Amino acid sequence: MSTEPALMSLVAVANAIAEKRLSSHEATRSCLNRIAQWQPRLNAFMSIEAEAALKAADEADAALAKGNTRGALHGVPLAHKDMYYEAGKVVTCGSKIRRDFVAKTTSTALQRLKDSGSIRLGALQMAEFAYGPTGHNFHHGAVHNPFAFGHITGGSSSGSGAAVAARLTFAALGSDTGGSIRMPAHFCGVTGLKTTYGRISRAGAMPLSQSLDTVGPLARTVEDCALLLGLMAGADPEDPTAATLPVPNYLAATSGSIKGVKIGVPATFYVDDLDADVARILDDTIVALKREGAEIVQVELPDQRQLTAACQLVLAVEATAHHKRWLIERPQDYGPQVLMRLQNGLAIPGVLYLEAMRWRGPALAAHIAATAYVDAVIAPVAPVAAPTIAESDVGNSPDAEAVIQRLTRFTRPINYLGLPSLSIPSGFTQRGLPVGMQLIGRSFDEATLLKVGAAFQRSTDFHEKVPQAA
Amino acid sequence: MTRPTAKEIKAIAPAAGVPVDADAATRIANSIGPAFEGFAPVAGTLPFDLEPAGFLLVQAAKVSK
Repeated sequence: MSTEPALMSLVAVANAIAEKRLSSHEATRSCLNRIAQWQPRLNAFMSIEAEAALKAADEADAALAKGNTRGALHGVPLAHKDMYYEAGKVVTCGSKIRRDFVAKTTSTALQRLKDSGSIRLGALQMAEFAYGPTGHNFHHGAVHNPFAFGHITGGSSSGSGAAVAARLTFAALGSDTGGSIRMPAHFCGVTGLKTTYGRISRAGAMPLSQSLDTVGPLARTVEDCALLLGLMAGADPEDPTAATLPVPNYLAATSGSIKGVKIGVPATFYVDDLDADVARILDDTIVALKREGAEIVQVELPDQRQLTAACQLVLAVEATAHHKRWLIERPQDYGPQVLMRLQNGLAIPGVLYLEAMRWRGPALAAHIAATAYVDAVIAPVAPVAAPTIAESDVGNSPDAEAVIQRLTRFTRPINYLGLPSLSIPSGFTQRGLPVGMQLIGRSFDEATLLKVGAAFQRSTDFHEKVPQAA
Repeated sequence: MTRPTAKEIKAIAPAAGVPVDADAATRIANSIGPAFEGFAPVAGTLPFDLEPAGFLLVQAAKVSK
């Protein structure tokens, strides 16, 4: 068994540092060694701050030696999607337009992780302005899948997916507006949690669509996601949409049995037109959950195509509104596909946008009624495993929308409904590409998803597979 | 509700403050058209007493059950 610290889970490394079995310096050095080895092939990092990270690690070790600890992540090195503002740091948002933007504030989610003692390794690549599901970036280059160089990572949290999978960081923040955490988790074989809309403050996170944006982690294990969620969730005076509900002990939830937990399998839509490997892995996942004691039942969900369309209308208009000034002043500084998608909002009448917003309540009520007798719904994250970078590099061609639709068809409905969804590594295709399944839960019931996901990971080892450097 | 044509998009984009040329209008029509078609069964059918904030009420109501 390898003793390389970077291969440990977040929970394991945090405990090892707290118990002084491992220094923060050793953990940080181990990550930096792997970053040096992998970055030239993956392009997962936007910036690497090796010297500063090691200095912070030494300070964390010195504090611990004196009996001072900052919190649950004391001395743990992390890197996050380059859209979380940190005062004094350049935050590119994956763009040319914000290439030199220096944040004046620190995002609430990031601040809460810093307050828990985490150390900054650098910033991670992402799709331009988080508006792309593949991992392509016109300005900064594509991020490569650690399990298959030349294949996509998924986006928009492309660097987060790749860096966590390759064990370059113990975890990473992503964001999910239409699938941007779950898709990189699925394509890269890591665990990703799209939180309930409002569960984690969005303050200081780059906006894409204020009605759909959610903050969440990508990590090696469900337990790691539970730890991070518990640290970040909760009310925030800086974000009026952040829920004031109490924050449960998510980590404790991961140790429970799933005996008697009811899991719904959609009768249609999420099981239609699946790649053969994805269909097989969905069946295998259901069998594994049943073996752990879950009760599997079929559910008839409302028309998901309408939810997808409504999500697209809301996202398009809100994104266009955020970007309008730059669309007027600097259209040439966007990549072709992002420009085209930002211009989409110009074609949507205000009345139609408001209809899509007004329908959210009834649509969520219909979903709740259809799933009243289950604790979670299982579905593939995408109908396919990671395509190649070349075949999905469609820019603003007439094929672009079809490619985007195919990748996001199983994720967008969940964003529209604002529901939580946990993507868990569930198997590999015949060619060795990771496949993830998503567990979709009730609003603010992340705990049940974490319980089910943790039970699945106790009985499988897909999340422990480490990609090998060539 | 039918999808907008490139011609219609070229005409309405300036009203939103961002004019687009014919090529861009064609790309937009192709890109956003499926969303119009997908939402067509819902558009124009919603009851009078319904507003966007109702979503948050439904979301919160589920928690209190």
